[in-house]
Amino acid sequence: MGTQLFTFGAAFLGSAVESVEALTIVLAVGLTRGWRSSLYGTVAALVALAVLVVLFGQVIVARVPESTLKLVIGTLIVLFGLRWLHKAILRSAGLVAHHDEEKSYEETISELKGAVRQDWVAFTICFKGVFLEGLEVVFIVIAVGGTSKGLPVAVAGGLLAMIAVAATGVVVRKPLAQVPENTLKYAVGIILTSLGTFWGVEGMGAIWPLDFVSIFVLAALYFGASRLAVTMIRRPVLA
Amino acid sequence: MKFLKAAASEVIGLFVGDWTQTIVSIVILAAGWLVVSRIHQIGIGFIVAVALAAQLVIATRLEARRRA
Repeated sequence: MGTQLFTFGAAFLGSAVESVEALTIVLAVGLTRGWRSSLYGTVAALVALAVLVVLFGQVIVARVPESTLKLVIGTLIVLFGLRWLHKAILRSAGLVAHHDEEKSYEETISELKGAVRQDWVAFTICFKGVFLEGLEVVFIVIAVGGTSKGLPVAVAGGLLAMIAVAATGVVVRKPLAQVPENTLKYAVGIILTSLGTFWGVEGMGAIWPLDFVSIFVLAALYFGASRLAVTMIRRPVLA
Repeated sequence: MKFLKAAASEVIGLFVGDWTQTIVSIVILAAGWLVVSRIHQIGIGFIVAVALAAQLVIATRLEARRRA
């Protein structure tokens, strides 16, 4: 139950962050070049991502032995989580500027100004944007869902976040610049690094005291280390 | 072709931000595997976690120095 909660949380938060970034691209293209091709591109990318989840998810759950799965996927999740955490620390410390949705929005619009074949360009930019942003979500969903034997829980978390972000985008019709992306990435980084360490070490053959409760201890450890890193390198926040 | 290249670099970029940090993390996990397979002690995994956390602090500090 506890592991499933972490699985859902990681998939939901990870998907929310990437959906906000994908939404910015789709909004910029849709509002400047028309919705038809933009939505076709978005739907095509979502179908491609769903195929990846079904294919790789099924292969991982059905074919790979549990200990191998935990060791290999656990290691990959640790690397993935540490990368997000590393970036989040640098942003929190003011060494790297926070991701600016409004700036991304303006950049996408200026890219579109020189385009001639309107429909094809709108389709391609939306497809590419949604697909590339979605790859990280696909990895999170397959990795945490497959390893915890909770693929449906992870898929539900990812889908719910995507639907929530899309619905908000339809209502407000502008980039969701107020979403605290760095905080979300920070949280996902800690959850994934903790889950990855938990599964990776289990895959090595070790036993954790109190089973999944150890994930909370790991999360506290990584949170403490990241705050220590932020304190050590803190600078004034960049504009 | 351009899209495939972007997708490939996106996939590698999922796990690698800085090659040195990635290699150090893999070395820690490999060393952990060696130790865990020899010493069957409950909770030994926390040593791996502490090493990874220390690596995170050191790597971000080094990057901060590089950017200074």
